[in-house]
Amino acid sequence: MNVEILEKTDTNLRFVIRDADAPFVNALRRIIISEVPCMAIDEVVILENSSMIQDEVLAHRLGLVPIKTDLNAYNLREECVCKSKFGCNLCRVALTLDVEATDTTTVYSGSLVSENAAIVPVSANIPLVKLAPGQKLKLEADVRLGRGKEHAKWQPVAVCAYKNMPQIKINPKLCDACGECVKVCPKAVFAVAEGKVEVRNLLACTLCLDCVDACPKNPKAVEVTWDKNTFIFNLESTGALPPERILQEAVKILDKKTADFLKELAGEKDETS
Amino acid sequence: MIIPIRCFTCGKLIADKWEDFARRVKAGEEAGKVLDSLGVKRYCCRRMLLSHIEIADEIIKFYEVAGKGKQLRGQ
Repeated sequence: MNVEILEKTDTNLRFVIRDADAPFVNALRRIIISEVPCMAIDEVVILENSSMIQDEVLAHRLGLVPIKTDLNAYNLREECVCKSKFGCNLCRVALTLDVEATDTTTVYSGSLVSENAAIVPVSANIPLVKLAPGQKLKLEADVRLGRGKEHAKWQPVAVCAYKNMPQIKINPKLCDACGECVKVCPKAVFAVAEGKVEVRNLLACTLCLDCVDACPKNPKAVEVTWDKNTFIFNLESTGALPPERILQEAVKILDKKTADFLKELAGEKDETS
Repeated sequence: MIIPIRCFTCGKLIADKWEDFARRVKAGEEAGKVLDSLGVKRYCCRRMLLSHIEIADEIIKFYEVAGKGKQLRGQ
């Protein structure tokens, strides 16, 4: 297997995986979506709320705020040494919010005060509520690690998807550069240059096959297939974790799952089963 | 009511881009170009900002008046 990174930014990671198969790449995708832990606000104690947003709606909004996650310093609640459902310093972070409006104001996520300066909302400019003069908001919010399978707020990614590597062949004997495929392609994969149709942007191809349908030649001059063992994987983080870290964690989880499975196969059943 | 925190479909954070978006569109910029410059690429996230109406700004006027009334009555 061979991995080539196409694009890497703070939140985005696009790479090609060669010599892999679909079940493996799909396992990776599903683990990233549902099992890589990240942090989110889970419980909110509302002490005072005279704003126009109801308590439960506000709590839901807070839950969806992506939080910068430190996976090294914190444990999942169910795996923590404290074995308490209320949590300890290793599995919970408290955020507090206390505002009283004198003018009409918007309360932003930046007003949330964290007990750990590293565990804060991804952006300080998320509007949480609007307050009219005299309205008050006072609350305590508990942040904890969780997994996407429990609630989508613990999903570390916005987009996590792959597609097969497209393979486009243009038969120079049949093609007369009529340009029909250039016109119809929604992703501008083709271009006409020097009386010939060229593939300019192979990776953008979505395999829709519109170009094949649009080709007036019979047999068709353009042929679109895909490589079953090469994948273009696209990952966009919510900002909670860097995208490369998400991938590393997913691989670790997959490794553990396969190791556990092999152990079970070898007959080392645990007592509960 | 108030801008949703995340895109309903993909889960991308969009709330932090709303005020910038609303201000620039009001100032006369083309909405599509503002979205491009804010890095909102997918149409699921774009519709979140494009079709949002901040009703909170309308409702809050009633609370402002109610607050003033209380002040006048000395409560």
